[in-house]
Amino acid sequence: MKELLELGLQVSGWLLVLLCIGSIWIPKVLGWKEKVVSLTPLMRELFWTYSLYIWASHIFFAVMALTQTDWFLSGSPAAASLAGFICLWWSVRLYLQFFGFDFDEVGDCLANKVAKHLLTLLFIGLVFVFGMTVAWNLGWLGNGVAL
Amino acid sequence: MNLDQILLFRIAGLMCLGLIVANFIGAKRLGYAASLVQAEMIVRQIFYVHCGYIVMIITGLAILCLGWPELLLADGMGRVVSGFFGIFWGTRVVVQLTYYDKKLRAKERGWDLFFLGVFLALAIVFILGAL
Repeated sequence: MKELLELGLQVSGWLLVLLCIGSIWIPKVLGWKEKVVSLTPLMRELFWTYSLYIWASHIFFAVMALTQTDWFLSGSPAAASLAGFICLWWSVRLYLQFFGFDFDEVGDCLANKVAKHLLTLLFIGLVFVFGMTVAWNLGWLGNGVAL
Repeated sequence: MNLDQILLFRIAGLMCLGLIVANFIGAKRLGYAASLVQAEMIVRQIFYVHCGYIVMIITGLAILCLGWPELLLADGMGRVVSGFFGIFWGTRVVVQLTYYDKKLRAKERGWDLFFLGVFLALAIVFILGAL
């Protein structure tokens, strides 16, 4: 099981890297620049600042998953807590994907449909991997490390 | 265990709680909702979702600092997390000084200086924790 989780964390890390690279084009594809024109200067600044911080957080998650795999599976309360936080983060995003965002204003072309489904699969995968990492750290998975 | 550093993390946790409260007060005071009325639905949704995630990450940090500050000093990983938040708050100072609307900052100079001080203090605490 530990080997599978190591692989899962590595794959998650690389998928997050891809997400971060892909995110660079999201503002252009969705026309953010034109759409935020109607906002006040402060709101525009907040919009871009928040977006950048969320993006930086995703980079941080990617770096952690790729470079701290052993730590994530160390069975420590800290590892369980951080994996739990990341699991919660992507669970919220998954919920929003189905019940939060109104995609009517997003173009209905094939590329957008494919991107939407790939993102949904990615969020499901991230919730699963980090959820399993929490379970491992809490000793719930077979020979997992008990606290 | 460095007790001074633990105390600093606890103070940082309280500051983070204050920022969460300020976030909601600021949203009302600066008229987020009124400004977003004219925007397209997707912009409104993205803005509120990003606000929510920022509150979530600061809440997580506040819980960590107030409940388990020793974890930020316990091992290499704790220091990596502390370093991330050092950069997080350090860049927030830079953003405020270089990017945010200077007219509004001048109009609200007291709050501008107050939040700059808070962000700078948080940056220093977490960078010190990472070293």
